Amino acid sequence: MIQAVRTLQEQMESQGYITDQAIATTVYLAMALRKPVLIEGQAGVGKTEIAKVLSRMLETDLIRLQCYEGLDANTALYEWNYPKQMLRIKMGEGQAHSVEETEQVIFSEAFLLKRPLLQAITYPDKAPVLLIDEIDRADEEFEAFLLEVLSDFQVTVPELGTIRASHRPYVVLTSNRTRELSDALRRRCLYLWIDYPSFEKEVRIVTSRVPGINERLAKQICVFMEVVRQIRLMKTPGVAETLDWGMALMALHRDELDPDTVDQTLGCVFKDNRDILKLRGGAASLIVNEIRRLPEEQLATCSTAIAQRLQKELSPAEL
Amino acid sequence: MQYSDRPAPPEGTLARRTLAPGPGQHGDLLRNLVAFGRRLQAAGVLVTPDEAVDALRALDQVDLTDRSEFYLALRAVFTSRLEDLPVFDRVFREFWRLHPGPSDRADMDCDEEDDSKVPQPPEASQEGATEISIEEWNEAESADEEEEVPGYSAEELLRTKDFSAFRADELDEIIRLTTKLARRMATRLSRRHKQARRGEIIDLRRSMRRNIKYGGDPLELARKRRKIQKTKLVLLCDVSGSMDVYSRFLLQFIYAVQHTFANVESFVFSTQLTRVTDYFEQEDITDALRTIQREVLDWSGGTRIGQSLKTFNDLYARSMVDQHTVVLILSDGWDTGDAQLLDEQMDELSRRAAMVIWLNPLKASPGYQPLCKGMSTALPYVDVFASAHNLASLLELEQHLKAS
Repeated sequence: MIQAVRTLQEQMESQGYITDQAIATTVYLAMALRKPVLIEGQAGVGKTEIAKVLSRMLETDLIRLQCYEGLDANTALYEWNYPKQMLRIKMGEGQAHSVEETEQVIFSEAFLLKRPLLQAITYPDKAPVLLIDEIDRADEEFEAFLLEVLSDFQVTVPELGTIRASHRPYVVLTSNRTRELSDALRRRCLYLWIDYPSFEKEVRIVTSRVPGINERLAKQICVFMEVVRQIRLMKTPGVAETLDWGMALMALHRDELDPDTVDQTLGCVFKDNRDILKLRGGAASLIVNEIRRLPEEQLATCSTAIAQRLQKELSPAEL
Repeated sequence: MQYSDRPAPPEGTLARRTLAPGPGQHGDLLRNLVAFGRRLQAAGVLVTPDEAVDALRALDQVDLTDRSEFYLALRAVFTSRLEDLPVFDRVFREFWRLHPGPSDRADMDCDEEDDSKVPQPPEASQEGATEISIEEWNEAESADEEEEVPGYSAEELLRTKDFSAFRADELDEIIRLTTKLARRMATRLSRRHKQARRGEIIDLRRSMRRNIKYGGDPLELARKRRKIQKTKLVLLCDVSGSMDVYSRFLLQFIYAVQHTFANVESFVFSTQLTRVTDYFEQEDITDALRTIQREVLDWSGGTRIGQSLKTFNDLYARSMVDQHTVVLILSDGWDTGDAQLLDEQMDELSRRAAMVIWLNPLKASPGYQPLCKGMSTALPYVDVFASAHNLASLLELEQHLKAS
């Protein structure tokens, strides 16, 4: 591993983002080659977090464009401040200004509302991090527009002319794969798929992010998560859920898992009632009792066996 | 690219070439990267010459003696979707004759497993499939259905018989009518769009500019047109045994719809799902139907709606179904598969689509209630539940499409 990647990984971890070589290498390349990086993965594996950490490391601002269906170029780029323009015109009434003069004033930068993309392009002094979140939720038309912006980092405002980025932003795109993205966009980006973390990585995440948690509880939580990710659920929990649950258990002053507490706190882990009903009582207790039986050093490798036992316990109708 | 038209070096030498070049050996490495890119391209990964250049730039930045870093850098540049990863791993292994770094072992080993998940080509065990599925269907029907809803299945079956209405000599007339019907639906729907086009949104940006001359008072309003999203249609038609009397008729309807509307994808299913959009592109409907009947393995077989929908959701839904898509399922809802699976798949499909319409030919029979397991499972996820037993009922479909 070259020093730069190792340093980057250390830097990311010091910012509270526990990572691995694959993520560190891709982020490093994105910075070195100045290419956008497209991050895909299940919900809650920390895709958005990468952009946040990147901006903290580079000591620059994070500009976020949250995509949604119907998002159009205007909303993402700029809008004129109509009320302000209106007021300005009213104030100018009675004075001898020509239409052209008024236009000059009200279509100047002071009346421009910069939306995220224009903010990123006109960011002063240094390159910001531009996070384009959940690009799969915007439509194809917007994607095409975005591709144009990402290729030359310049936009044209008819009244003002062409604005070129003085500092090319670092671009991070995330997608939950609800829609297939165009090949053109994919090709422009480096690609990173983030899977659920390994047991060791998740334990490190929990111990670094949940203050005061003891090693044993952290491991127990992570085994539990590993087990439930192997069974069929309506919504498989991500790392965000692991952390929520850890926080909740700390707030309840627990230092290890027990069936009752787990039953009471299932809502932290599962976000679909059908999953809670499936796990509550028997299934969750089974996992917890298995975990409690095992010595700490075996926790790292036991999840598959527990998941198989669980499969047998849950009747076929439940699965 | 000046290198792209050079012939690729023979494969044997490539694989044996040293991997880590010293300074000034970029020529070799670039050539290898281009060849590697071509190999990936042949294996189905989207690669262009630009990526080989990017790969070279990326390799400049990493430690070439660190195998996992070399692998990770190339992976970040050459792949662009999850599906590429197992392919990339395989080609990488073959091409660079390298063992992956220890940290990536888990990643690299999964590709065999993934390959086996790819559905088998239709050639495999064509003969056996039909027999087995019919057997299963019969078995399941006697055991499952009668147990689940005692007393009702037999009645429902009788009602089915009442509907076996269409004689062979009526076929031409039906084709003519369905085509006419589909055209009428298409024109009506587009006319509605034209009316909607009289812009109803006020365009503030242009209004402001236009009204400067009135001192900013909004005397003239500029309007902009709402973007018209064309509705896409996905048709899923049940061709299992229990649908025999309807499926031929419904397929003609699908044929007519596909030849009249712009964005239509068609599938048929019984125990498994087959995409038939391309077959329907044929000009002659008799040819089209004959091809479909030949190509679809389990025509008139059992029904596994849940499994068929899972195939659709896993393989097609992501690229075909979005919030402007109407999914039309034509089925009697007699399911011999896993009800829980059907429940989950209907849930997923209904979330993804703008609207799910279920047309059930049995629905029109007097006193029909959706009692069979499949239908009652699916019903909560269906936006419109209507009948499809005759032409008039299909005409009503227009109303539902309008509503979307």
